[in-house]
Amino acid sequence: MSQRRVAITGLGLVSPYGGDLADFFGRLLAGESAVRFLQTEDIPRPLAMPFVSCPAFDAEASLGRPLAGTMDRFAQLGTAAAFSAWADAGLACGQPAENGENRERWGVSWGTALGGTLAYEKGYKELWIKGRERISPLSVILGMNNAANAHISIQLGLGGVSMSHTVACASSAIAIGEAFRRVRSGEAPVMLTGGSDVPQAYGVARAWEALRVLASGDEKTAPRACRPFSADRDGLVLGEGGAALVLEDWEHAVARGARIHGELIGYGTTCDHSHLVRPEAAGQVRALHLALADGGLSPADIDYVNAHGTATAEGDPVEIAALKTVFGDAAGRLAVSGTKSMHGHQLGAAGAVEAIVTVLALREQAIPPTAHLAELDPACAGVDHVTAARHGQPLRAALSNSFAFGGSNAVLAFRAVAP
Amino acid sequence: MDSIGLIREFLEERLGVAPETVVAEAPLGELGVDSLMMLELIFEFEDRFGVKLSKDLKSPRTVGEMVSLMDRLRSQQP
Repeated sequence: MSQRRVAITGLGLVSPYGGDLADFFGRLLAGESAVRFLQTEDIPRPLAMPFVSCPAFDAEASLGRPLAGTMDRFAQLGTAAAFSAWADAGLACGQPAENGENRERWGVSWGTALGGTLAYEKGYKELWIKGRERISPLSVILGMNNAANAHISIQLGLGGVSMSHTVACASSAIAIGEAFRRVRSGEAPVMLTGGSDVPQAYGVARAWEALRVLASGDEKTAPRACRPFSADRDGLVLGEGGAALVLEDWEHAVARGARIHGELIGYGTTCDHSHLVRPEAAGQVRALHLALADGGLSPADIDYVNAHGTATAEGDPVEIAALKTVFGDAAGRLAVSGTKSMHGHQLGAAGAVEAIVTVLALREQAIPPTAHLAELDPACAGVDHVTAARHGQPLRAALSNSFAFGGSNAVLAFRAVAP
Repeated sequence: MDSIGLIREFLEERLGVAPETVVAEAPLGELGVDSLMMLELIFEFEDRFGVKLSKDLKSPRTVGEMVSLMDRLRSQQP
């Protein structure tokens, strides 16, 4: 079977800034951080850390009370993002019988690193703190990792594959890549893909704190807490989020007159197979080469890389070393930015958020910066770090990197389409 | 609170159902109570009134049947 071209026809996310997709991208171009200081009311020791939340998100308004009540927040964010992407693609919500389409081969491929941890944590509190004998019968379906994709399949009436990918920080990049393969092979004409996560569960946030990889900050300094590639970088900033893309067989999209935001052309995934948390350039290099080859691209075709760039001491130099290995002498002209400096690290949603940023960069021919990068760490030198929004540089193709704890790497390659 | 009051409160809070539509002859399914929501409703009832329903309980079909079941169990309480 010949390979199909894969169009991106829908983009949607729950923005930490509270606005729509255009507002989100505009704020990234402006270098505006969504990071704020989070202080919870947990007793005896509240969470107090820089964090990215979606305070304007109203699950009941987005999804309706009955549906929202059967979901943990990660599924609420994910389903809301999916609805948004679906509407953006011009596809009708509701069951296929209502609109005449046969969606039995359409599917969902979702990423989440954590799943419904808030539901489980609530259960633990009921059992251990309040001393209750039992917990809500909905706990299992609220907590299960495949809750988001299951709800999305049911709500949109999609009868093909419905799967979740749990690969830490690469969860949704891998979910997108696996969806891409299904559309490209002809197995599915349309795939809804993306990811969502909510790391606010007390135990989860404390676990990340214990790893000593979180950036510090207070009310005043939190917006500048995440500083990828910077000499004074201090660690990553956790965030909640949900982001979704509609991938569609190119001919299917053209036949129905869909707007095409961009083209997904390559996907590479590898494992460092060396260490759980210490990344290794060799594994990332192989993922980059695989994505380029998969898309029929050479390094010279790439005009922008949205970096994984978490702002950890270990991760950033390794990623730059991998890019320098792949791009060789041309690396110095390779535009790179780490937008986690503004939208934080949404774990299982991160790959999808950054895929959207990369597609919008190609569509709008504009690169959002790495914010707060005043003094470059010499260990991260050797690429063209974008520190202020860049317009006017032709962008033909771009990569989005996602590198996970566990050593899993995923690289997605996108191509701009003529307006 | 009586049994119908509890059902009305539950359905309004969880499903946004207007309390005046929760009448004896209304089928629970038509009010949005599927099998999962029935588990939640039973859980709420057991919690609030300190009773325990047997696992092989036949699910009530209407609001009236649910009220009868709740009233019967409450009357059997010591």
